[in-house]
Amino acid sequence: MLSVETARERAVPAARRSGGNLWRITKYTLVKGTTLLITVIIAVYLTILIANMGGYVDKMRESELRFQIAEEINQNEELRLLTVQERKTYEEEVFRVRAKQLGLDRPFIVKSFIYLWNGLTLNLGRAIHLTSDAGSAYVDNIIGERLAPTLLVMASSQLLLFFSAMFFALFLSRRYGSRLDRLVVAMAPTSAAPAWFYGIFLIMIFAAVLHWLPFGGMIDAPPPPGFWAKVGSIIKHLILPISAFVASSFWLSSYYWRTFFLIHSSEDYVDMAKAKGLTGRAIERRYVLRPTLPTIITSFAMTLIGLWTGAIVFETVFNWPGLGRLTQQAINMFDTPVIVGVTVIYAYLLALTLFLLDIVYAIVDPRVKLGGGENGS
Amino acid sequence: MNKMLLEVNNLKLYFRTKKGPVQAVDDVSFKLERGKTLAVVGESGCGKTSLSKAILRLLPRNIMEYSGEIILDGEDIMKYPEDRFRREIRWKKIAMVPQAAMNSLNPVLRILDQIIEPLLIHNRDMNRDQGLARVKEMFRIVGLPEDFLYRYPFELSGGMRQRATIAMALVTNPELVILDEPSSALDLLTQANLMNVLKRIKHEFGTTFILITHDIGTASELADEIAVMYAGEMVEKCHAEYFYTDARHPYSRKLMSSVPTLREDKELVFIPGQPPSLINPPTGCRFAERCDKRFAKCSEHPPTFDLEHDQQVQCWLYTDREEVKHA
Repeated sequence: MLSVETARERAVPAARRSGGNLWRITKYTLVKGTTLLITVIIAVYLTILIANMGGYVDKMRESELRFQIAEEINQNEELRLLTVQERKTYEEEVFRVRAKQLGLDRPFIVKSFIYLWNGLTLNLGRAIHLTSDAGSAYVDNIIGERLAPTLLVMASSQLLLFFSAMFFALFLSRRYGSRLDRLVVAMAPTSAAPAWFYGIFLIMIFAAVLHWLPFGGMIDAPPPPGFWAKVGSIIKHLILPISAFVASSFWLSSYYWRTFFLIHSSEDYVDMAKAKGLTGRAIERRYVLRPTLPTIITSFAMTLIGLWTGAIVFETVFNWPGLGRLTQQAINMFDTPVIVGVTVIYAYLLALTLFLLDIVYAIVDPRVKLGGGENGS
Repeated sequence: MNKMLLEVNNLKLYFRTKKGPVQAVDDVSFKLERGKTLAVVGESGCGKTSLSKAILRLLPRNIMEYSGEIILDGEDIMKYPEDRFRREIRWKKIAMVPQAAMNSLNPVLRILDQIIEPLLIHNRDMNRDQGLARVKEMFRIVGLPEDFLYRYPFELSGGMRQRATIAMALVTNPELVILDEPSSALDLLTQANLMNVLKRIKHEFGTTFILITHDIGTASELADEIAVMYAGEMVEKCHAEYFYTDARHPYSRKLMSSVPTLREDKELVFIPGQPPSLINPPTGCRFAERCDKRFAKCSEHPPTFDLEHDQQVQCWLYTDREEVKHA
């Protein structure tokens, strides 16, 4: 009886391993890639529609243009002598030429698809009003200039928060019900206040009252001479934003991860690992962290791409020259190319991350097979 | 070498809950000889699994009381500090086969890595190749093909996984193996296979087993002694040969008469009522409410009485016999 069962069981998985793997993965990659691309296209197109207020921005730009032309004529000595009729004709003529230059003569619906194509091919074009600090009107230059400061402040705070909260939570999950654990649970609601709210208080205490740290900005004005002096100045400016960010989210993140680890530490196999005589550290590494790695990686990847959008109010409070403030300025000024540019890049990053995550899952979790379905487990 | 491998005295395991303390294991005492198998039977929720966890010190977070003596090979292992217990007892002397083999294997590690783990932890001088040879030997004994070593748990059927956990329990050659309902989630054929494997291991290696089960039929295949648990207490313990014909505690008798047999034509009986809650259980005999032999004395807690054939019963019906000291 023993051997009968053995033979039967042996037959099944052998078939599963053989052949067709490459085709399965290729097919999966194509399908997944196409789906994500369609999502990106829809998202970008919606952004174009919204950022242009369904074409209304064109009307605003037209009236701006008419106003501008009228001003020019008024200021021109020669043109001021024209009759009303002549002046009107001249005005129309100039308007027609300039509108054509700006592409205002074509209907919005046609242009929206041109915008879409340009956006998707990362041909971001020129901003309408905004310029980079170096004076360039090209959207990629503007975004490029703001990207570094945002990454600097957001990446350092997010990474610090992510790892400190996660390892603190792992530590807490072993001390369920302890005084420290209850403190974290009690403090979690304080994260309801956003980072900029803590920022205001920190600025008030450490900049306004104590004068220890600067109010805002990224570097002293004028920048100090020498590389290390610059680095020192930037670090000094980073302390308050990072503290505000970590202070606002640390408790809630710890609480979240603690609960997550508590749930996953009550799996039967964790008990078995303990029964086998593994050390606490080995249990944590191989039986708690390892099986939950896909979730942790997902959360981490989402944190990373979340950096891209910056944080509007946060950067405003700290007068930080980042992408968040750029987005806000662009929205205020109806600078649609900048809005679309920021969105397109975010959409691509998100899609790429989701795509890579699927592959990473298949690597870290043996239960996941790319394009499994009918021939998977 | 002691003839007596395990002696448990007055073991208590209480949990703290919102409604009050749960007396999952209440004052349980028993002895187990080397090479014998003790089957612990009883209804669901009577504290069988808690007893096994108490012996291996696998305690939940809401522990309230954990006391008594667990004497293994002449040493009271309850007195061991946590780290010594981990190094010297867990899987080195006592191993277990868990109730739910489905969830007892880490889903993301290969079977081999999980089985070899205790070997490498507990034998510092053993290298991986020696470990592998030992694991392969265990796989042969439990009847699993070698290539299963390189599979992940989800690629195995329930029966295969249960065999793998048995191989895992035996790999360090422990003196005592606790089998916690090893076959309850399996179909009858696989169950029978598994019991055969266990019987062979018992005879070939002389391993001592504690078999925890609610299935008296399964217990009869392996058990030398039978202990009956009811509401956290051990109400009867005797040799298997007498238990099936001559159980003494009214609960054991009812339990036996609820088991169908092949050769006799008997009417199956069920036990009316529910076992009492382990939160604030009755102060007297805990079975009294469901017992048809109860009398005035039953409102007091019965001590354990020693009967002939080494039989021990916690019931007032046997008052005329000699009382056991540890009761």
